[in-house]
Amino acid sequence: MVVNPEEVEFRSRLVEREAGGETYAAGAAIRQASLWRDAVRRFTHNKAAVVSMVGFVVLLLYVVIVPWVSPYDPNNVDFSLAYQNPSLHHPFGTDEFGRDLFVRVALGGRISIGIGFAATFALMIVGILYGAISGFVGGWLDNALMRFLDALYGLPYLPFAIITLAIFGVVNFWTMVVALTVASWFTTARVMRGQIITLKENDYVRAARAIGARWYRILFRHLLPNTLGVAIVFVFLELPNVVLGEAFLSFLGLGINPPNASWGSLAQDGYSQYLSHPYLIVIPSIAIAWLILTAFFIADGLRDALDPRTTEHV
Amino acid sequence: MLKFVVRRVLWTIPIILLVIFMTFWMMRAIKGSPFRKSERAVPPAVLANLNRKFGLNKPWYVQYERYVVDVAKADLGPSLVLRNQSVNDIVKEHFPVSAELGGLAMLLSMLVGIPLGIISALRVNRLPDYIAQFISNLGFAIPSFFTATLLIYFFAAKWGFFPTNGWDTASSKVLPVIALALFPLTYFARLVRGQMLETLQQDYVRTAKAKGLRWRRVVVVHVLRNSLIPALTAAGPILGGLVTGSFIIENIFAIPGIGRYYVTSVQGRDYSTVMGITVLLSILIIVANMFVDIMYGILDPRTREARS
Repeated sequence: MVVNPEEVEFRSRLVEREAGGETYAAGAAIRQASLWRDAVRRFTHNKAAVVSMVGFVVLLLYVVIVPWVSPYDPNNVDFSLAYQNPSLHHPFGTDEFGRDLFVRVALGGRISIGIGFAATFALMIVGILYGAISGFVGGWLDNALMRFLDALYGLPYLPFAIITLAIFGVVNFWTMVVALTVASWFTTARVMRGQIITLKENDYVRAARAIGARWYRILFRHLLPNTLGVAIVFVFLELPNVVLGEAFLSFLGLGINPPNASWGSLAQDGYSQYLSHPYLIVIPSIAIAWLILTAFFIADGLRDALDPRTTEHV
Repeated sequence: MLKFVVRRVLWTIPIILLVIFMTFWMMRAIKGSPFRKSERAVPPAVLANLNRKFGLNKPWYVQYERYVVDVAKADLGPSLVLRNQSVNDIVKEHFPVSAELGGLAMLLSMLVGIPLGIISALRVNRLPDYIAQFISNLGFAIPSFFTATLLIYFFAAKWGFFPTNGWDTASSKVLPVIALALFPLTYFARLVRGQMLETLQQDYVRTAKAKGLRWRRVVVVHVLRNSLIPALTAAGPILGGLVTGSFIIENIFAIPGIGRYYVTSVQGRDYSTVMGITVLLSILIIVANMFVDIMYGILDPRTREARS
C-alpha cells in the first residue's frame, strides 16, 4: 500500500490541489466535487475494495430481506425438525428446536450489525467531539483530556464493557450499544485530535481567523468537514471491532438474552454441539468473518481513496 | 535520559490512581448489593454487619482511600462471595495460569508474525506476500472462538493429537496457545509489513544500496532495525488483545485462568473480585505501556521529547 506509484502520483496532485486557492467559494464547490469523483475513481480501481463492497451489500440484503420473505417462523419450536443438516428447504439447517437457521442467522445479523452500526455511530460522535474539543481548544484542557484518555487506555476492553453492562443491570440492544461505545471510543478521539491539530495549522484556517471568522465557523466550516474522509474510514475500521466485541460478550453468555439472538449467541449455542452438529457454529462464525473481512477491505479502499496521507494503522 | 525514565515512571502513578478511581466508581454504580442476590431476605441487622465487615458503610472517599492504600500494599481485599478467600488468593491461584498462556501466545505470535511480516514486505505483491496476507487476513477476521473450535474439532476430537481441554500437561497447552496467538500474530505481521515497506523507501536505504552494500546486509542492518522498533509500540494494544482473547480461550478450553474466573465473578456478583482483577489487569497494561515508552525512548531518542 505504501509502495504504490499511483498513490505517489495522487499525493502530488493532492499537494497541488491544496496549493490552489481555497478562498473562492465557487471554486471550492467545484474542487469538492472533483475530490469526491476522484475518490470514487480510486475506490473502484481497488478490486478488493469493490468485491468487499459487493459482499458487504449482499450480507446486508440477506439480513434485511430474508426474515421478511422466509416462510419459516424463527421462533417456532418443532422437535420433529430438529438438527436438520443444510438442505434446499433449510439452507443453513435447523437447530435443536427445529428452528430454521437461515432466518435466525439473518435475525441475529440484524442484531449484530444493528448494534455494530449504532455503537460505531455513537463512538464516532463521542470520539469526534472529544478529539475536536481537545485539539481545537488546546492548552491545559487538551492536556487534561489527553491524560484522561491515557488512563482510559489502561482499562482492558472486555472487562470495561462487562462492568458497564453490569452497571445497567440489564442486557438489551441499547445497553449493549452503550457498553461497547464506552469501551472503544478512545482511538477515534485520539486520531481526530491529531487531525484537528494538523488542520489547524493550515493557511486557510489562519486566513479565516485573520478575517475574523468566529471559532464555531472555523470548527464547523473549516475543520470538521475536512476530517470527514478520516471519519468515514474509521466507521469501517471500528465496525468490525464492535461487532467482534458484541460477539465475544454474547459468546461468554454476558450478551443478548434468548429468545433474541446475535451471531455471538448463535455461535455459543452451536459451540456446545460442535461435535455432533458443526454447522451450528460454522455458519454464524462465517457470517462474522464475512462482515469483518469486507469492512476491513472497504476501510482499506476508502483510506486510499479519501485520504492517502493517513498512515495511521489501527 | 535518566530524567526521561524517571518522569515516565512517575507519570504512571496518577494514571493508575485514576484507573482505580474509575473502576471504583463504576463498581459503586452497579445496582444491588452482593448480599441480596438470593430470594430470601437478609435480616437488616445481618446486612448491617456484613456492610460493616467489608467497610461498605463508610463514605466513598474513605473506602477509596482504603482501597488505594491496600492496592499499594498489594492487597486486593476479601472476596465478597467466597468466604475465607481473599482476592489475592484467587489471583495467586489463577493468574499464573493466564500469565503462562498469555506469555506463550505472545512468544508464538512474535516468532511467527514478525518473520511473516518480513517475508511479506521483501516479496511485496508476489506469491509469498499474497500467502502471508491471506493468512493474516483470515486470522484477523475469524473470531477466536471459531478458530479454537476448529482446532479442537480436528486436532483433539477427530485425530486425538491433543486433549480437548485442561491446562495440566504440556500437550494440553498447545491448542489454546495457538488459538490465542493467532490474533496478535496477524497484528505483528501486518504492522511489520507496513513498517518495512515504509523503511524500504527511505533515502538511507537507497544510499546503502547505491554504495554497493549487499542486499542482505542492507535489510538486516538498515531496514530491519528501523522497522522493528515501531513494532514495539504494538505491545500495549496486543497485551490488551491477549486479555480479551484469553477470556474466550480460557472459557472454551476450560482453563482455570483469571479470565474464566472473571466471567464467573461477574455472574456471581462478586464485585470485589471483579474490581480486584480489573485493577490488576489495568496496572499490567499501564506498566507494559510504560516499558514500551521507555524502551522506545532509549532506542529512538527522537521520541523522548514528544513522549515525556
